[in-house]
Amino acid sequence: MELWYFQKGFNFSQDGPGNRLVYHLCGCNLRCPWCSNPEGMRRIEGYARSATVDQILRELLSARAMFFEGGGVTLTGGEATLQFEAVLELLSRAKEAGINTCMETNATHPRFAQLLPHLDTLIADFKHPDDEAHRRWTGEDASRIRANLRAAAASDIPMQLRVPLIHGINDDDRALQGFVAFFAELQRPKMTVEFLRYHEYGKDKWKKLGLEYAMHDAFVSEQRAVEFEQACRAAGIAVVRT
Amino acid sequence: MANMVGTPERITQMAKELFREERSLKRLDGWFLIKESYMNHEPEYAHMRPMERAANLLYRALEELPLSISENAVFAGTQRDAFARSYALINPSFKVESFAGYCDPTAVFDDIEPNEEFPRERIEKVRAYNGNTEYGRVLADAYAKAERYTGEVAFFMEQVTGHVIPDIRPTLQYGVNKFIADLEAQIAAEADEEKKSNMRAMKRALEAVVMLAGRYADIARAQMETAQGERKAQLACMVAALEKVPAHGAETLYEAIQSFLLMWQVMCDEQAPNPFAFSVGNADRVFEPYRAHDGLNRDETAALLKHLLVFYNVADRSWAISQDLIVGGRDLEGNDLTNETSYALLDAYYDMNMPQPILSVKLHKNTPDKLYREMGRFFFTPGCLTPSLFNDDSVFVALRRGGVREEDLPDYAIAGCQEPLIMGKDNGNTTNSWLNLPKILELTLNNGVSLITGEKIGSFVPEVSAEENLRNLRERFYQNLEAYLKEMEKAANNCTEAVSHLPVPFLSTMMGGLETGYDMRDIRHQGTRYNGSGCLIHGLSVMADSFVAVDCLLRDRPQDAGKLIEALRANFEGYEELRDYLVACPKYGNNEDVPDEEARVIANRVSDMVSALRNNWGNPFRVDFSTPSTHLLYGYWVGAMPDGRKSRDMLNYGVDPFAGDANNGLGLRTLSTLKLPFEKFGGGYASHFGIAPKYFREDSFEEKGMAFKNRVVGPLFFNEYADHLSPFYLYVNVTTPEMLRKVLANPKKYAPSGVYIMRIHGTFVNFLDLSPAIQEDIIRRLDPGSTSIAC
Repeated sequence: MELWYFQKGFNFSQDGPGNRLVYHLCGCNLRCPWCSNPEGMRRIEGYARSATVDQILRELLSARAMFFEGGGVTLTGGEATLQFEAVLELLSRAKEAGINTCMETNATHPRFAQLLPHLDTLIADFKHPDDEAHRRWTGEDASRIRANLRAAAASDIPMQLRVPLIHGINDDDRALQGFVAFFAELQRPKMTVEFLRYHEYGKDKWKKLGLEYAMHDAFVSEQRAVEFEQACRAAGIAVVRT
Repeated sequence: MANMVGTPERITQMAKELFREERSLKRLDGWFLIKESYMNHEPEYAHMRPMERAANLLYRALEELPLSISENAVFAGTQRDAFARSYALINPSFKVESFAGYCDPTAVFDDIEPNEEFPRERIEKVRAYNGNTEYGRVLADAYAKAERYTGEVAFFMEQVTGHVIPDIRPTLQYGVNKFIADLEAQIAAEADEEKKSNMRAMKRALEAVVMLAGRYADIARAQMETAQGERKAQLACMVAALEKVPAHGAETLYEAIQSFLLMWQVMCDEQAPNPFAFSVGNADRVFEPYRAHDGLNRDETAALLKHLLVFYNVADRSWAISQDLIVGGRDLEGNDLTNETSYALLDAYYDMNMPQPILSVKLHKNTPDKLYREMGRFFFTPGCLTPSLFNDDSVFVALRRGGVREEDLPDYAIAGCQEPLIMGKDNGNTTNSWLNLPKILELTLNNGVSLITGEKIGSFVPEVSAEENLRNLRERFYQNLEAYLKEMEKAANNCTEAVSHLPVPFLSTMMGGLETGYDMRDIRHQGTRYNGSGCLIHGLSVMADSFVAVDCLLRDRPQDAGKLIEALRANFEGYEELRDYLVACPKYGNNEDVPDEEARVIANRVSDMVSALRNNWGNPFRVDFSTPSTHLLYGYWVGAMPDGRKSRDMLNYGVDPFAGDANNGLGLRTLSTLKLPFEKFGGGYASHFGIAPKYFREDSFEEKGMAFKNRVVGPLFFNEYADHLSPFYLYVNVTTPEMLRKVLANPKKYAPSGVYIMRIHGTFVNFLDLSPAIQEDIIRRLDPGSTSIAC
């Protein structure tokens, strides 16, 4: 079985615990205009590369000495779950082989829950608490995401929820209240929330791909990010910065 | 004895003053005086055999050499008379475009600035004499014969001086008088006239160091007459020690250091000018017995060792003396040999932070965490020297494969940059030959014509069409390489023959000569237990990436075979699209099977071919994949390559990926590195990681040192999942390109002392003293894409 990816490399402590070999898988079902990896939205020649699950597993096994401080493999994207069968096989075989597994996902996939038993850590994006706004900005509403995250919360997998905090999109008080309410509902031990302030690291990539970068005036102040963090903490939610 | 020369604080203060004094020197004329003395006295000893003549000339030169003892010195001795002020590969005026190598043995005379004492006529007289020696004639002939190939550096060769690790331990223990007495007995019993003469030579050379100690003792005594208090007591210690060592064995650490320094001084003066890359070996093991005898604590020991370290600094040179000192390591059973002196040496290094001598640390799987914790301060203090790291567990295997006996393995150390040699037993002739694989590929692709100058340099394979050339590129390249290697072998051996006309009786006493009766440079007899000739191999990853790119092109765009050759000739001007394609082909260093396997195959095959060459003694050439700034020099003479590298750009460094081509972080790069056949790199290799400090957020140096072990050293050196022998060498710079640009832009702010130490291949240097070309090389090879812990 084959997996398509557009980037791989190690990352330390930012994409799950410890030092991790991170595969950015091709394809995404959302169309977020702030995306910092537009080259991963679909399979693009010159970026996309393939490897079989066997090959990746072999790479992971050879890399075990580098999985220090609790590290392992992380699948991200694009959206990892779009290559569901291959991802399922890879995660299950990696976990069986004793490799710590982590997936970063937008949590939209209908079979999301099937992956949970094969994960040691889940990182999930939650971009907007309001369904209509979520659909407007990403192309899909958030109802399935909420359901999937409730399922994840019902398990005991360490779970990191990430919010890209973007001015004009999800940084108003209403969104803040929506985030806090939902995270409070999910709240349990081993769950953290992180607000990632808008950046433009991907801007040049859009241009290079001949795509229009539609974002402007989207930066969020440090002060505003702190307010989001404080509101979560006040509700008893663990907030982190990685 | 340490207490008698002062408290640790006072001894340290004097060491720092002594270093300041040394750095302020603006002239180095001692080497010239030595050469002039040789010229003046040569007729008196012309009737003698060369080795005996050399010993007597050395004695005379040391009798005449002006000596002094600084008021800040607690030991007598200096090696500054062996070195010219700036002559070296890496000096502040270094320019890639104009570097000509060491072809001219009299070029060093340009280094001495004429003045009233040294008028031009005086300098030119000695220059002319040296150009007309047998050594000068044979060397000039060697370079003339090989000029066709060396002009654009298909290969290069040089006469190797220095570059060994003398075993001074017996002298420290017994004193040279014992060996003089032994030699007298051997001379009486020896029938062979040549050996008899050689033994007389070694005896005379050893007498020279005793004489030198006497001269220093006289100076110290004279200074005592006007000295007061503390200084008077210090001079009294010095006199007492000089009356005892090195003639007799040392008992205390103070005596051992004093003895060691004078032996070192004579050894270097014997090879003046510029005996680069003599190395100390495991200094911790050399001095520990004497520290233990004295019962000195770490501070007391470090204070004395600071003066040992200052000794290695010569005037304001902070480049390319390449003298190395090593600590740590294991025995044959895997037991750790780190001792109290190891840690005292680290203390001394850290506190002094000087550009010389180079520090290396031997590691192994049982290295105590304490050593890693103590190393943290070096790696994570900006502008501080950093040790290069060796993996004993792998070095032992590589050396054993090269024929080193079991009992000698723990005695390996590093001469020069990273070449492992056995202390006192190994004449590795390490930098004898230099091989430029990409240049030979260029000549193969272009039927022997240089892309740089258009000159017909030569190809040893028939001319064929572009497509056929590319289709059979590997075999055609290796056929060419075979022929070029034969030429290199001859040329390198000619240089070695030239050096044999400069016998070194003093050094030979510490390299096995007392047992064999032969000079270590004698090419008719092997005077040392181990012997070989080094070959520094350039361009591994450029070659691998080029072969892979050609395969990709023939697979994807076979119609463009001819276009590729045209593009290379045009340095890709007008062929940008093709170059983009070539650059995007898989590259070594990203843990991708195809290019990594190509690099492994090339390394294997070239290693076997180089090992099949024979030096003047009939011993194999030693494989050394290191490129001490020569990746810049040789790249300058290499045209555009099929991997997309442009004409005159640098080559890859050592076994590292080409800068910018491995951009998926340190982890994948480590996995690629692990696939290379390190067991075949018995002559050494080079590799560098630039590490961004932001990934080490631990609170203390000690914790950072442990994190460095776990994140960098462990996966590379002691990787239990590796399929092959693990790597055995690494140097690092823990900084970022941005930081170095800040240092250059505002040195007063970021390097208020004027010294900002960086590592560059096997040595460390004051970054601020380097030429712009070398500064830029360091910055470029920090290469965040290939070395970041997070990508």
